[in-house]
Amino acid sequence: MGVRPTTTTSSPTQREIYQKSNNSSPSLMGSLMKSLKSSNSTRHHHHHNQSGAEAGGDNDADQRSRSTYPLLSRSSSQNNASQYHGHGVSHIHMSPLRKSSSGSSSTTNVSTQKDRHHLKKDKYFRDLDEDWSAVIEDYNMPIPMISNGGSELKPPVNVGLRRKEGVESRSPSAGYPSLPHLNKSQSSDLKTQYEHESERELQELNSFMHRVSKFEAILQPSNGSQINLSELRRLSWNGVPMLHRPQVWRLLIGYAPANIKRQSSLLQRKRQEYRDGVALVFSKEHTRDIPTWHQIEIDIPRTNPLIPLYQFPLVQQSLQRILYLWAIRHPASGYVQGINDLVTPFYQTFLTEYLQAAQKENVSKLSPDVYLTHEQLLDVEADSFWCVAKLLEQITDNYIHGQPGILKQVKHLGQLVKRIDADLYEHFAQENVEFIQFAFRWMNCLLMREFSMDMVIRMWDTYLSETSLESSSSSVADSSGVTLSSDPSLQNSPVSTYREKSSSKTMQSKHSAVATPRQTSLSEFHVFVCAAFLVKFSDKLMNMDFQETITFLQNPPTKCWAESDIELLLSEAYIWQSLYKDATSHWR
Amino acid sequence: MNSPVTSIKLVLLGEAAVGKSSIVLRFVSNDFSENKEPTIGAAFLTQRVNMGDHTIKFEIWDTAGQERFASLAPMYYRNAQAALVVYDVTKPQSFIKARHWVKELHEQASKDIVIALVGNKLDMIEAGAERKVAREEAENLAQEENLLFFETSAKTGDNVNEVFLGIGQKIPLKTAQNQAQNGGRGSSGLRVNDDSRVDLRSGNQSTSAGGCNC
Repeated sequence: MGVRPTTTTSSPTQREIYQKSNNSSPSLMGSLMKSLKSSNSTRHHHHHNQSGAEAGGDNDADQRSRSTYPLLSRSSSQNNASQYHGHGVSHIHMSPLRKSSSGSSSTTNVSTQKDRHHLKKDKYFRDLDEDWSAVIEDYNMPIPMISNGGSELKPPVNVGLRRKEGVESRSPSAGYPSLPHLNKSQSSDLKTQYEHESERELQELNSFMHRVSKFEAILQPSNGSQINLSELRRLSWNGVPMLHRPQVWRLLIGYAPANIKRQSSLLQRKRQEYRDGVALVFSKEHTRDIPTWHQIEIDIPRTNPLIPLYQFPLVQQSLQRILYLWAIRHPASGYVQGINDLVTPFYQTFLTEYLQAAQKENVSKLSPDVYLTHEQLLDVEADSFWCVAKLLEQITDNYIHGQPGILKQVKHLGQLVKRIDADLYEHFAQENVEFIQFAFRWMNCLLMREFSMDMVIRMWDTYLSETSLESSSSSVADSSGVTLSSDPSLQNSPVSTYREKSSSKTMQSKHSAVATPRQTSLSEFHVFVCAAFLVKFSDKLMNMDFQETITFLQNPPTKCWAESDIELLLSEAYIWQSLYKDATSHWR
Repeated sequence: MNSPVTSIKLVLLGEAAVGKSSIVLRFVSNDFSENKEPTIGAAFLTQRVNMGDHTIKFEIWDTAGQERFASLAPMYYRNAQAALVVYDVTKPQSFIKARHWVKELHEQASKDIVIALVGNKLDMIEAGAERKVAREEAENLAQEENLLFFETSAKTGDNVNEVFLGIGQKIPLKTAQNQAQNGGRGSSGLRVNDDSRVDLRSGNQSTSAGGCNC
């Protein structure tokens, strides 16, 4: 066992994949924390060879590559795949492997044509095997895995963690409670399973703490006042700790400036600008746009109707102001159903900033007036407004007349599925299933209707890391003719300078189709996520007729997806994107 | 009983929040929820109804109401044999929109399409809200345009099944079958129900989420 991953970093692409598919710490911690609280003992425990149980979690690269072993090796060594079923982290379904994945169902009606397909695919993956061979045999390496054994250990761990979160430490050097190191675990034979599990928990906790400290280090740069945004994006792609999420999201979306010295004054100004905007739009001078107002009004009670937070009148009024102001300031698009959904992850996340650590997870239940002053609520509202505005800048084409952005994405999804899962594509064609019939909503609501809010928020850690800083100029054009002009003082801020630079660069690249290394685009990445999502159910869908397919995809079995499932989906999307980069370069 | 099954492809059109999805939910699951998330794109549901010795299977496309999504509607009504044009009896604006849909259907949809004009939210009037669309006005429109006409409450279930039964009676079964076979492979992708295929699904199944196997 255990060829060390010395060769795994040989190519940059692979390294990138490793980095992106590292889904270890934060999410595991999230799951761990949930598992600590719930007494759900039905989860499978992980019984892998523990001999390699790690000493601390401080070698990041090591950790990173280890956590991706199952993912990568799963795609290359099919025989072992079944071992991992039942474990979210390693539960991968890449469609070219349909033949091998979990399926009695899939192979019953194998035709010769199908066999040919698989042969081709096998060959394709064999090629990849050579590149990835270094990791194949490391299959039994311990993976940080969710486990809820070791209940005796829970209380202290829990308390320690909470206290840590509660501190919201301002000093990055404060350090974290040094947890017991695990390097004594070599004599694993003598250990009980209980000990293994508690070690595993500590290991996860350690890596979580390590991760938290990395965020702290980035957010409070010791030398200089500039936050390294690309580093932040890289780190955030794999999930942001709840504690840091509000701050990180504001940075990722390009609302808060990377220069921390300017942060508070700029936020203050933007929050004031929002207040002024609201005051103006609801003043007597402004003639109410009745159809828009009416549409928003009827949609507000229908927004997240099952989450208590969105039933409080206070919150509903908040959302109504945000949406109406945005609609008035963006007449080319106006309010379109689905945008109401897009505000809520921001709103909910920014509310958590005002909650004690122990209360943060209750944000969806508490009425904000219990813990917020009116002014604070307006700040949350303002931040949500500016952030959703930034997000919508990236996907403006989705909501203007005719919704060309969505139509384009749906088309790309079809093209992509044709390439990565030709059988499914063919099957859909035979059954007259059209992509627009199920994927329109996926694009219009960024898959928000498909997942629970917590999962959406985790997904957005990655999505916001994928947002580009390129489209801000178009929004200026969009809003310039409207009641409120954008803050002129902002034009001189470092943010806008940076953005002007980057936007002119990308405008150039748009016209000349310059291939840049991994130019991020939320719309493009989202199509890959949708493709990964669809082919995940490929086995089932192959046996469904039109009605069953549409019904299934309207209501996919994702209600109880955990973070590990989301992270796997995102990793798969990333891998597809890496593999098909050339094929899709013309999309831009 | 192995009765012949006829499929009727039906589309719902109407302004946002008049209760299109609620009418379908009532018909398909005999259920109601006060605040349903707005439909995005369109939702597909089915329900079977026995009429005499015949079974009619309704294949329903429930479209999104907001104007911005209207460009998708032709895809769904193009091969439909029946349409419900829904308005809210307390919202005059929604009746104006209903007129537009009727006009568009007559111009763009299949010539034989059976259209039912449906005034929903009757319960709100019973609960004291002011009626804003007179019954006579709607009846006149129905007569002029040769529409079926119903006033319903998806909330109480009042008259909802009658809409679908009325449509079932109006469509000659053979015609429905022929149309289904001719038009089903069209670009809309609305699928033909193949009689030779054993359909294991009941109508109610089509709405339920199903358990999550994790």
